[in-house]
Amino acid sequence: MLPENFKEQLALAVRSIQWSYAIFWSTSSTQPGVLSWGEGYYNGDIKTRKTSQGVELNPDQIGLQRSEQLRELFKSLKAAEASPQTKKPSAALSPEDLTDTEWYYLVCMSFVFNTGQGLPGKALAKAEPIWLCDAPSSDCRVFSRCLLAKSASIQTVVCFPFINGVIELGTTDHVSEDLSLIQQIRTSYLDILDFGVHNIYGATLSEDVACASFNVKQAPEVGGALINTTSPNNSSNAFQANQTPDETFMAERINNGTSQIQTWQVMDDELSNGVHNSSDCVSQTLQSPEKIASLPKGDNLTDNSAKDLEKGSNSKMTLVDPRSDDWHYQMVLSTLLKSSDQLFMGMHFQNFHQESSFVSWKNAGPVSSQRPRTDGGTSQTLLKKILFEVPRMHLDGILECQEENEYKEGVRTEAEENGMNHVLSERRRRAKLNERFLTLRSMVPSITKDDKVSILDDAIEYLRKLEKRIKELEVHKDLTDREARTKRSPQDMVERTSDNYFNKTDNGKKSMSKKRKSRDMDEKSPETNSESLLKGSCTNNDVDVNINENNEVEVEMKCPSKAGMFLKIMEGVSSLGLNLHSVQSREVDGNLYVTLKSKLAGSTIVSVKRIKQTLQNVASKC
Amino acid sequence: MDNTSQESQLQSENSSTYESTYPLYAMAISSSSTSSNLQRIAVGSFIEEYTNRVDILSFNAETLTLRPNPSLSFDHPYPPTKLMFHPSTPSSLLRHSAVDLLATSGDYLRLWEVRESSVEALSLFNNSKTSEFCAPLTSFDWNDIDPKRIGTSSIDTTCTIWDIEKGVVETQLIAHDKEVYDIAWGEARVFSSVSADGSVRIFDLRDKEHSTIIYESPQPDTPLLRLAWNKQDLRYMATILMDSNKVVILDIRSPTMPVAELERHRGSVSAIAWAPQSSRHICSAGDDAQALIWELPTVAGPNGIDPMSVYSAGCEINQLQWSATQPDWIAIAFANKMQLLRV
Repeated sequence: MLPENFKEQLALAVRSIQWSYAIFWSTSSTQPGVLSWGEGYYNGDIKTRKTSQGVELNPDQIGLQRSEQLRELFKSLKAAEASPQTKKPSAALSPEDLTDTEWYYLVCMSFVFNTGQGLPGKALAKAEPIWLCDAPSSDCRVFSRCLLAKSASIQTVVCFPFINGVIELGTTDHVSEDLSLIQQIRTSYLDILDFGVHNIYGATLSEDVACASFNVKQAPEVGGALINTTSPNNSSNAFQANQTPDETFMAERINNGTSQIQTWQVMDDELSNGVHNSSDCVSQTLQSPEKIASLPKGDNLTDNSAKDLEKGSNSKMTLVDPRSDDWHYQMVLSTLLKSSDQLFMGMHFQNFHQESSFVSWKNAGPVSSQRPRTDGGTSQTLLKKILFEVPRMHLDGILECQEENEYKEGVRTEAEENGMNHVLSERRRRAKLNERFLTLRSMVPSITKDDKVSILDDAIEYLRKLEKRIKELEVHKDLTDREARTKRSPQDMVERTSDNYFNKTDNGKKSMSKKRKSRDMDEKSPETNSESLLKGSCTNNDVDVNINENNEVEVEMKCPSKAGMFLKIMEGVSSLGLNLHSVQSREVDGNLYVTLKSKLAGSTIVSVKRIKQTLQNVASKC
Repeated sequence: MDNTSQESQLQSENSSTYESTYPLYAMAISSSSTSSNLQRIAVGSFIEEYTNRVDILSFNAETLTLRPNPSLSFDHPYPPTKLMFHPSTPSSLLRHSAVDLLATSGDYLRLWEVRESSVEALSLFNNSKTSEFCAPLTSFDWNDIDPKRIGTSSIDTTCTIWDIEKGVVETQLIAHDKEVYDIAWGEARVFSSVSADGSVRIFDLRDKEHSTIIYESPQPDTPLLRLAWNKQDLRYMATILMDSNKVVILDIRSPTMPVAELERHRGSVSAIAWAPQSSRHICSAGDDAQALIWELPTVAGPNGIDPMSVYSAGCEINQLQWSATQPDWIAIAFANKMQLLRV
């Protein structure tokens, strides 16, 4: 049983010192000596404010509303626990909306303390204030909620006995012990209640119940505005009627208090479309008569029970077990949001030695001492491929597809819009693509690997080489052009040569690039060069020339492969005035084999012998 | 048994192994069993080419046999990033009990009807109105409370919620700053996702404007790769980081601070799965070739949390499934193998 305006006074008290919350732990009327949630006011940080639009609330109202919403959330969660199949009843707040401090406050609602147990229990037992400065790191035998407080960063918690219960104040700030603060709160906000309760409440008991039932009838039927004017008046009338003259001051305060309650309830009604909330407040007011019924002997009762509790506390104190508090904490957590489920797995795990593929971790002990591998480069290989590379494959596919679509001049049939057909067309496209890759692969020499990237890389590299070669040949062509002007040689020979040039092997290419160098050497020391070469090369050179009746010349020659050799041969052939049809060359075991096909141009008459001589000359000079 | 292909199976008392001809990644266990008390298991190939396969196996828990159904194999464009059977057999969608719905993700979300002896492509979900293509999908989750909903996560930073019965997009949210790598449903309208931006966010379809960041990886921008929401206790979810041996356990009520970090793997963790019938057990597997089962303690000790049991596979474990229909069995995939382990 609490005075009507107790909540407001509690609110005023905690707001005046700007602490995070105030809780009144009241002794249970059914279980003497057990402290449970009586009333509370939350004054701390708020994460998500869920207010209805357009209703301006003053800070008082916001705070009261929030505290009430938290209480409702707790009740709804409790209800959900009782009947798990019904999904969480609609509460204005959901657990996700809460700050840590609010969560702490909410979880506090589930706690009960025996006298001497926990901070409130001790305060009650000793009948004196307890000031806890460093709540999170305190012994959980003293402060059972220390884990919770840690998560909510509650630093200072104060408990002091009040009426027939304990008031607890808490803040996230560190406040050193100051008993005058408690005294100040008591005198300015709370003692009024203490005093008022005994005098007023007993007297107004029946009226209060009447007033409550009045609300019951009116709230759902009459509009908010009407309640706003009628019910506070009514209740204040009820109180006034029972006031003794010298308590006028008190009455006024209480009147203020009640009217505040009423207006606030109306607000709430408006916020949540009346019905739900008003019925809630109805049930609350209806509960109060029962509590009140136990009051008449209030003073004696509390005194007696307090004594009983003090006796009991001595023995109980020692029984407080930190583990049980942990257990309680866990139970609260698990019951609050979901019906608690203890493990079903016990069965399987108990006998897992016989059947399970898994072995107990302890058995695997020795390995556990190894350091974690930190080779980041190769870890999670497949997972990374799935997440990073597979999307890339799809994207590449999309790009290619789009290109192809553009190529098809944007013609897209209805069928292709259909996804399954897309799969088929994609597969066809893919097959074509693979085919082209194979073709490309066959065209490019020196393919190192079979994958597509390597094929493309090698093709690019090859193209670059070809371009470079073309440039070199063009330079060379200019040179031969100049020479040709003096020598009157056919011009197109070099170009033709270049067409077939790249049938040659890598060695041939190298000799090409070294062409200029070797030439320079030739010019500097022609004699030494030719002499030294002549000795060995004569026997190795082998030239075979055939001329048929159509004046077609076929030359097959073999000579040691040397830098610039091929070019010399070409020069030699051109000096003979032969029109080359094709040139084939290959290199085997350091020997260069060249096959030339040519036609004698017009009037030019060259004998087989001359061709042979010229080419042998060329070969031996190199 | 038609074991004509090179696919073979090995078995022992407490496990059953299926060996495929190609590496396996995606894997799903059906929530319904066929007439002959067989459990269907779908495995997806990982071949770095266009044509990939999804094979349907039948698992007989009594004889411990895993048998491939060649007639139920089908092609999939590129490797499927995830496979999932319908969370509960919907009588409305299916004609008879031997029919299963299987969803796959890759370039699109696809639904397949797995029948007695054939698989038919049911539908393909493309949320791009302008082009034939939508951004590739990294993962998806089927809402088990409201099975008409499937949420997909994409590299284009969005999550898309499909109404698969109507075949329409219910909503598409820009969920993260970077690629979204995984998505998990909590309730009918609440889902969570992890991303390359290193955050875990929770979304409520009733309030699409806002999301709540539950966790951010300690080194900024360390991607979070996988997410598992504890279906037995929705306060908890688990995630894994890139190149990390940790399993991070989160409590959605205490954002930013993980309630536990499980650090006994000796290589990076690649897969996690909560126990289907217990709120406090989770299994994790990774590069150290181990699958660890953890029991979350009420209060963590100073030396961290030890797993309760361990299984060692031959090589890096890439996939892990713990099905509600077969809570006694954990399925893992490594290299070319899929293995069912008795818990």
